[in-house]
Amino acid sequence: MELGANDLPYRLPIHPNLVHLTIGLFVIAVAFDIAGALFPFEKRLFRFLALPVTRSGLHDVGWYNLLACCLISFFTVAAGFVEMQLADPLPGITSSFAMGSTATMLWHGAVGVALLFAIVLMTVWRGFQRFRWRREMGRQVQWSYLLVGLLVFALMAWHGTLGAQLGVEFGVHVTASQLLGEGASLREALP
Amino acid sequence: MFELLPPLNDRNLPWIDTIHPIVVHFVIAMALVAFVFDVIGRLAGKPSLYEVSFWNLLFATVAIFIAIIFGQVEAGLANPYGASRDILNLHSTLGWVLAGVLSVLTAWRYVIRSRDPLQLPLAFLGAGSLLSALVVVQVVLGNQLIWVYGLHTVKVVEAMRAGLV
Repeated sequence: MELGANDLPYRLPIHPNLVHLTIGLFVIAVAFDIAGALFPFEKRLFRFLALPVTRSGLHDVGWYNLLACCLISFFTVAAGFVEMQLADPLPGITSSFAMGSTATMLWHGAVGVALLFAIVLMTVWRGFQRFRWRREMGRQVQWSYLLVGLLVFALMAWHGTLGAQLGVEFGVHVTASQLLGEGASLREALP
Repeated sequence: MFELLPPLNDRNLPWIDTIHPIVVHFVIAMALVAFVFDVIGRLAGKPSLYEVSFWNLLFATVAIFIAIIFGQVEAGLANPYGASRDILNLHSTLGWVLAGVLSVLTAWRYVIRSRDPLQLPLAFLGAGSLLSALVVVQVVLGNQLIWVYGLHTVKVVEAMRAGLV
């Protein structure tokens, strides 16, 4: 297989793009379930905005976005693993978290799989609340679910920062950084 | 006067790292998934998905203006070189176009939803597919700025400051 200067057989890495979907869908899913849970406090605001809102509508956003997040995240992690195999971080760099490239990649890989598990478990948990335990209730989610959602969000933010460091500091799959690392001149190699 | 501005770090930014690529999570994911849910909602006859799409669109519209604010500041500090100058210009222009398209589509969707939340005209699906296509083009352009040209990455900023780019 012919690899480019970015150590990939194609120009743009796939994993960081699927990450947009995983993070966006997860965060908005939890946010809308929080909005649904606090609905009694928001009613007047929605009336003021002339925006007709139902509580079940907000929880629908929470459920379907999480379901979509769960399905897509398998691909996010799979693409991450393929592209991590091909990673060639710039040597001799310590990240702003005081970690080397190997440690950063190991943490990013391990926590990535853990986050996928967390997303799948939360989707199953969310499904039980929606279709079994809280079917007849206005507030479709338990407070504990929302708390876990916020904790997973915090872990995701830390984890995403590690991923960003792999690109921005270690130059993984960044064509320009890899070219500079090889001693090439960007004026010639990347006009 | 310039000494009043905060110093720039090793990514040529006054803050810890680029914020624009984080904010765009919410534009990309919400805009694309809104279209997907509209299609599924119509094919599967599941109008509750239209409500999910509406909220996702609304959030994409709010997020894109925040993305543009950070995008403009970070673009101003990006020091693009070579072909990335044109790509950055195109990315900025398309970003504003997308803000307009998203705003119009969300307003249209608000009207559709106010009249009958259980129906979605085919024309809106057409507009949604156009929006998705624009988002994909915009993502590819943004990807080139970071993954090919490495704007705001440590190694490239270092080379820039050494006058090598």
